[in-house]
Amino acid sequence: MSETPRQIALREWDDAYERLRAAGVPQPAYGGPLGRHVAEGDTRLRKLRFDNSLAALRLWDFLLTEEDRLQLARDAGKKLVGTMKDLGTVPVMASSLDNLVAFYPDGAWWIPCVMEVNSGLLQIADSLGIDESFCPVRAMLGAFVTGAHFPIPDLLTCSVGATCDDFSAIAQRLNGLGYPILWWEIPHRRVPEDNEGGVQLPGGFRAPASLVRFVRSELERIRLALEKLSGRVIDEGTLSRGIAKANHIRRLLAELRQAAFTATPCPIPALEMLIAEMLAIHFCSDQEETIAVLQDLLDEVNRRVAAGTGYGTADTARMFWVDPVADLQVMNLLEDCGGRICGTEYLFAHALDPIPTDVPPMEALARMALADPMVGSATDRAARIKAEIRRFGAEAVIVSRIPGASHCALEGEIIGEIVRAECGLPVLEIEVPPLTDAVSPSLRTRLEALVETVVNRRSR
Amino acid sequence: MYAGIDAGSRAIKVVLIGEDGPGVVAQGQVDQGVEQDKIACRLLEEVLAQTGVDRSQVCRIVATGYGRNAVSIADTTITEITCHAVGVRQLVPAAMTVIDIGGQDSKLMRLDTNGRVRDFAMNDRCAAGTGRFLEVVADRLGLSLGDLGPMAARSRNPAVISSMCVVFAETEITGLLAAGRACEDIVAGVQTAIAARIVAMAGRNIEAPVIFTGGVARISGMETALQTALGRPIAPAPEPQMTGALGAALLARRQRGSD
Repeated sequence: MSETPRQIALREWDDAYERLRAAGVPQPAYGGPLGRHVAEGDTRLRKLRFDNSLAALRLWDFLLTEEDRLQLARDAGKKLVGTMKDLGTVPVMASSLDNLVAFYPDGAWWIPCVMEVNSGLLQIADSLGIDESFCPVRAMLGAFVTGAHFPIPDLLTCSVGATCDDFSAIAQRLNGLGYPILWWEIPHRRVPEDNEGGVQLPGGFRAPASLVRFVRSELERIRLALEKLSGRVIDEGTLSRGIAKANHIRRLLAELRQAAFTATPCPIPALEMLIAEMLAIHFCSDQEETIAVLQDLLDEVNRRVAAGTGYGTADTARMFWVDPVADLQVMNLLEDCGGRICGTEYLFAHALDPIPTDVPPMEALARMALADPMVGSATDRAARIKAEIRRFGAEAVIVSRIPGASHCALEGEIIGEIVRAECGLPVLEIEVPPLTDAVSPSLRTRLEALVETVVNRRSR
Repeated sequence: MYAGIDAGSRAIKVVLIGEDGPGVVAQGQVDQGVEQDKIACRLLEEVLAQTGVDRSQVCRIVATGYGRNAVSIADTTITEITCHAVGVRQLVPAAMTVIDIGGQDSKLMRLDTNGRVRDFAMNDRCAAGTGRFLEVVADRLGLSLGDLGPMAARSRNPAVISSMCVVFAETEITGLLAAGRACEDIVAGVQTAIAARIVAMAGRNIEAPVIFTGGVARISGMETALQTALGRPIAPAPEPQMTGALGAALLARRQRGSD
């Protein structure tokens, strides 16, 4: 399609899909009208507005068919690995073997939004003592109990330690329900002391060599478990090929981010960018297809940049977004209120950096795992955010807290204060529950006020 | 003529200004209701009637406040954050910080030297730190909102209200009454708690002069509580409940010729 970029509702997409189908436009195996997902319970889709490109349709279809893909993999004799909490490390290891498929059970945190709380997952978590004082990722517990949203994996791994207190408690509860978990520990990242050997990490951080050695030893345990499950050896060559594929995805995302955050008008809406960026950590259970989906999206974005088409104008307020939203609809709201996305830090910035290829692959993965924003300080996160704000020319920052998520409660304020003081930008903190319908007027007021503030500041 | 309509959670306010000059031609206020569009239209008509101005002479209308999108007669909408800042700056040209406490939310705006909003913070996650908190307390104690200020002024030993949640605070108040604490100490304690909430929201670097606006600024005692909590003088805006509508009217005038 070469239409002018615009956001369209589900019904319009379904009509457009029928025209595409009739015209014989090729679709991937998982393609189809988005409306079919509503019939399966994903009712929130009716309230979202989607980019009207074929590439965006493919992205959404890819995202919403992961359960089918996992089931097909199992039927084909592949083993499934649930890689909990880990944002981008174990999936790279598992995906290097072609008889393993890694997925991210934590992704269930969006089910209460997508199914508009009709899935009953949060109620199950409540009944298990994991109530709303925890992050919405507690929905994962319900997904395991019902078995309705992903097949129960053959191996479950979970990183604990410096990652997330909420998630540790939720995973412990899951373990207590009879789902064995292979835990691996990740320590808090700190700067090396004078008498310690330091190691350079992706993202510009440094850590003591002893920490990297420890994480590497933890990942070796995971490697052995994956080899046992697979019946194959993950040697350096195999792992290097897996890393190369992950780096291919990261390069595509880096190009996509550069174009999306710097071009005027904005070539892709905030919502589709969020979904695309998330592919960096879980590959939606298929690395090859992730590459194809992202390449398609990048081609579309590049076409739009070359044609000078997109969303908004040169005057549209440029927003840097911190933390992912529990309700996808809020990303639509940004454009409704006159803003555009201009940089993001969704808690997995390390999974967008290239994995080092100049060191042995297990060492490279250990270094990458230690660069995770969640295992460092809020000050480290703020440093990276500041650098990206300057790189992309953002004019304001939105920090969207996730209700119940302990790290968000603590980090948002610190990040906000640092960005205000050192970048001189307005910072808006909002809290985004899985369904924002009841607080939508208030969220709209805040976002509109931020846009007004940005526009008024320009005329100083 | 230019009109600003502030559709707040508790009241709708209208301000009418002329082509030039700082003066307000007319203004009015009425309680909010279910049919806020009709209420706003009626109020505007009443304000126009006060001055003998015909509706056709109103060149532009800007609506603000939480109900701004429901005001169908408005040419455009602008958030209350921008409007309060503009309104306050018109009345107090030196203002650098604006604290606005309304019926259902509270806000703090930092201004630059030109009077534009540099940054803002807003609380509306719960009723703590808003006028609603005071309403709940007044109801619980059988008082009117107007009684609260004079009553708080009589307190020599304000009660400590530790909960930041209105529902829990009400429970605390019940406990304090049962323990025999005087009403004036409870009211003063509530005002202190609201002020503490605002200060927590404001964060650091509050630049003077600080101007207090919104309907809650009319309740005596709140200004003192905020001054104590912030550790610096605060001046209530003249007619603090009208600054949003005034800002909206001024912005309508700035936009003249924009259509």
